[in-house]
Amino acid sequence: MIEIGSFIKLQRTKREMTQGQLAKGIVSLSYLSKIENKKTEASSEIIQLLCTRLGIQLKDGFDANIQKKCKEWYNMLFEVNDKEEIISTYKELQAVMDENLTDSLLMFEIHKIRYYLIIGKYNEALTKISDLNEMSGSFDNLHQYYWYKFRGNYNSANGDFEQAIILYKSAEERLNQIEVEEKEIADLQYIISITHSKLRNTLESIEYAEKALDIYMKEYYFMRCAQCHIVLGISYRRIKMYDKAIKNYNLARHLGELNKDKQVIQLTNLNLGYLHSARGGSKEAIHNYLEVVNDLEVDLNARLTSLTALIKEYYTINNVEKTKQMIEKGFELFEQININNNDTYRIHYYVLKTYNYAINKSNSKFENLVINELIPYLKEHKDYANLVVYANMLGNHFEELSKYKDSVKYYKLANITYDELVNL
Amino acid sequence: MKKMIASIALGTLLVAGFLFAQDNEPTELAGELEPSIFSVETPSFFF
Repeated sequence: MIEIGSFIKLQRTKREMTQGQLAKGIVSLSYLSKIENKKTEASSEIIQLLCTRLGIQLKDGFDANIQKKCKEWYNMLFEVNDKEEIISTYKELQAVMDENLTDSLLMFEIHKIRYYLIIGKYNEALTKISDLNEMSGSFDNLHQYYWYKFRGNYNSANGDFEQAIILYKSAEERLNQIEVEEKEIADLQYIISITHSKLRNTLESIEYAEKALDIYMKEYYFMRCAQCHIVLGISYRRIKMYDKAIKNYNLARHLGELNKDKQVIQLTNLNLGYLHSARGGSKEAIHNYLEVVNDLEVDLNARLTSLTALIKEYYTINNVEKTKQMIEKGFELFEQININNNDTYRIHYYVLKTYNYAINKSNSKFENLVINELIPYLKEHKDYANLVVYANMLGNHFEELSKYKDSVKYYKLANITYDELVNL
Repeated sequence: MKKMIASIALGTLLVAGFLFAQDNEPTELAGELEPSIFSVETPSFFF
């Protein structure tokens, strides 16, 4: 049961009432403050009076229905589901919660973090985290599990994977104290695997992807199986076990084709293209990347990642004409995006501009962009992999201009960052 | 003497940088994309 004090405080602030307005004629202001801060236990008559003033009913035997409805809504909180439906179900539930005191309220409030992330309202998610933080001391183990998991989700969505993994591990520690469905355990393991992959903790990523895969196979969640195979493909490529990586990519693609899931198929192509590129197979890499770039059904992030990879590939093999063509295509895609409001695609925009200046030999613009914008951006986002790439590119650029002092400076930056990346 | 030491140090760093660039192809490092953490679907049966 939610602490009554926390509940009253939550409902009062939601209705923008002051403590004075709520307490008037019922209890003293200081007594209400004690109730809200759980420093005293009020009598049931006082609670009844406060709830009546807040417009809340105290009903018995009502919880089972609400719990069922909440569960349906929690299961909807994935980005593949219809956002309109998620929002309308949320509104229905919120109306019920506003008028009733139920056991499900706290869990509902915690799930709002996830809800705001799914509908893309990251600031609201952060506000909800701050609001709930005050009462997190009264969370039971199940509440704590979701509290850590969704805060981890918030950090993942904002690219802070180091913080995210700490929170996911805290959620994982709660697993043996609670009862949740197998698919929930698999979801956490899958998320941990992805987060380790982002942090380039390759072996941990493999371990968790395999654990999640075991459950998803048993439960027939084939698209999640495919996604686990993609993470495994990435991980095995990173430790240069190419045959295993290709095998996993092929399995992912096969499952994607069976389910006619374009996102999975093209994500496989993108990563397979990268594998070929890393092994010097430009022709195969370009073939895979083009499949993604030319597929209009694929999400924009995957298309842009593929496009920038394609530009790098053409640039590396000195195909000036194709490099320019792809850069132009990239700028066309960016006409649909407001870059100032969307940090997700900023890195792609920098990459496009960088190669545009590099291919057109606009040396001062290139230097200015990479030194004053791109490198600080990558440092801020702890994107060490790209930092190595562009510090190196800049070092190479200065070396070609015989500016050895500058060249050394950026080669050195690449070197130090590489050490950071491989945790030497 | 100081100039000579400085030149040697600079030269060493340049060579190290060059070797680093040779050993670590840029394409080895960045560009893979993991699936989303928020995506999931209901169980599927192909039979």
